[in-house]
Amino acid sequence: MAVTDNVVEEAVARRSRSAGPRRRPSVAGWTARLVVWAAIAYVVLVLPLSRPGFEMQDFSRAVAYAIVALSLNVLLGYTGQISLGHAAFVGIGAFMSAYMVTAQGQSFCIGVLAAAAIGGAQALVLGGVSLRIRGLYFALITLSYGLVAEQNIFQIEGFTGGGAGQQAPKPEWFDTDHRYYYLCLAFLALVLYIDWRMMRTKSGRALLALRENPRVASTFGINVRLATLFGFVVSGTFAGLAGALLAHNDLSVSADTWSFNLSLVFVIMTVVGGLRSRPGLVIGGAFFALTPYIINRIPGFDPEDPDNLLTKVPAPFDLTPETARLVIGPLLLLLTLVRFPGGIGQQLRPITRWLAGHRFDVHDKGPKEVQITDVRA
Amino acid sequence: MEFLRARRGLVAGVVVIVALVAMLFVTNQEQALVIGTISGSAYGLVALGLVLIYKSSGVFNFAQGEFGGVALCTLYLLHANDVPYGLAVVGALVAAVVMGFITELVVVRPLFEAPRVTVLVATAGVALLAIAIQIWFFDRQGRPIAKAFNTTDRVSVLGVQISDQRLWLIATLAVLAILLGLFFTRTNLGLAIIGASQEPTATELVGISVRRLSSFTWVLAALLGGLAAVIAVPDGGSFTPGVMTSSYLIPAFTAAVLGGMTSLPGAFVGGVLVGIIQSFATRAEVFGDGGALEIPGNPGTLMVFVVLVAVLAVRPQGLLGKSA
Repeated sequence: MAVTDNVVEEAVARRSRSAGPRRRPSVAGWTARLVVWAAIAYVVLVLPLSRPGFEMQDFSRAVAYAIVALSLNVLLGYTGQISLGHAAFVGIGAFMSAYMVTAQGQSFCIGVLAAAAIGGAQALVLGGVSLRIRGLYFALITLSYGLVAEQNIFQIEGFTGGGAGQQAPKPEWFDTDHRYYYLCLAFLALVLYIDWRMMRTKSGRALLALRENPRVASTFGINVRLATLFGFVVSGTFAGLAGALLAHNDLSVSADTWSFNLSLVFVIMTVVGGLRSRPGLVIGGAFFALTPYIINRIPGFDPEDPDNLLTKVPAPFDLTPETARLVIGPLLLLLTLVRFPGGIGQQLRPITRWLAGHRFDVHDKGPKEVQITDVRA
Repeated sequence: MEFLRARRGLVAGVVVIVALVAMLFVTNQEQALVIGTISGSAYGLVALGLVLIYKSSGVFNFAQGEFGGVALCTLYLLHANDVPYGLAVVGALVAAVVMGFITELVVVRPLFEAPRVTVLVATAGVALLAIAIQIWFFDRQGRPIAKAFNTTDRVSVLGVQISDQRLWLIATLAVLAILLGLFFTRTNLGLAIIGASQEPTATELVGISVRRLSSFTWVLAALLGGLAAVIAVPDGGSFTPGVMTSSYLIPAFTAAVLGGMTSLPGAFVGGVLVGIIQSFATRAEVFGDGGALEIPGNPGTLMVFVVLVAVLAVRPQGLLGKSA
């Protein structure tokens, strides 16, 4: 009897230690955090104002890619499904918005809403058709769908404007590259908010449960097919929205942008960014969108300079920054998968936790990963 | 009768093929049959590699197409540097095999314990890396590539006009199919691979190292991918970086799914079936300009997608696979 009491007492004591009153940072601690927050806000909000307009297009693209990474994260990170045809979802969103604004004469708002709606609708149809299929087969279906979009849907001239592409003017009020950047940031904030709220609802937690083990989840009364479909539709909606932002950023959309390679780049930036880590995903998406921009600005890699270092690489053809991104991406991906499975998000976790007011802990690797064991079926 | 019932998937597949062939003859599309058989056999070879790897590692290998892509680049480089065609083909196959070996060693083995979806993402990464390096070396333009059999006399077989180089290709493929069949049923190594894919624990118990076999399986799959590429792509006269992934990988996966992802003969038969369907859809006038069901772009891609979704929805265990 006494032994049992001891055990209970100890368990209670241990529990109160771990869940005890949260340690609050001191005034100095808060000041330090505030300074870092202000520095981040300065880099994101104020610094771009001093850059020329054509660079802003790269920054806006980085924001849109961050939304794509968040969209793929809903699938990969929350439901455990993988889409290898995400370029199709983003691309159809881009064409839809451009088509509504240019060919139908609608406003930008209608264009963005239509893009998000068609993204969700595609996911609903594709997911509905392949509802019983999960795991590896689902990846196959999405890859095949991506090719269909590339070779059939994007060849419909009335929708995509043929070889010249579809025009996509910037909206009123946001017609300069600088203003448009802030519009993109607002949409990113909206997506981050929806993502955050979603994971705190019952359906959000259901998604996480079925990623860890669909069979256990279904014994808890979660409708696995419906929950997966829900995640897919949310992902498709985000992707369509990102597509609309990309279309109006570039002022036109053409069919050859949305290739299989781009789908793979999307998956890579999501995994390298770090699944289920919002800061990591945003950084991952922005990094891959800005890789050509960054490479151009490394001393010695200026594309205007005829003897830049990229031309020194011994190859029959010059290594362009876009090709360099294609080479660097998979290398980073393999490094992430084999050595740092949590991606950028996990490496940054001590810092992000510290910024949120927790104690700085270098060894904080986040909640332990649960292995998905039965995705073979 | 019992045999037919047990094999009703196979019977259905054969019936579909016979119906398709009859339809092609009636509509005077015999050329579609020849082209479909050649590209379909290439799909079948790639699909064999996919099934082998799926059975041994449980992975969908999205780098399977690029094993062939590497072989094509090597073939092109060697042939451009005046190496005889036969030697260039051997060099191309060696390049594919080396890539398969390295992929297994560097990517698959460290991820032995990882979730299968992670390994899938990793193989997709390998494919993108291979495509990127090809774009780097060859830019995105198509490159002319020499054909294996360079004569163009036409031969008539059963009333179908076939250029003799295509006849040679079909003969090569037939010999390959027979050799593979013998390898998997008559040699110790082939039987060990089949054993390891069906029952790894039991295979270990009889003294075969499954891990070492895994490496050999990847090498063999890479060889099959390379063979498919050097046989089928030069027939079209040119290649572009990533062509094996964009136009061979998905039909090959569809073929493997037709075979239930587990059956080797099923994958090859599925490949030929997909090849003929695709070639028919591409040439059929119903889908072309001004046809009743006009499909923009390449109707073959859409047909492969439809077949894939239909098979997965109606019969996920495939034509030859066992029900799960």
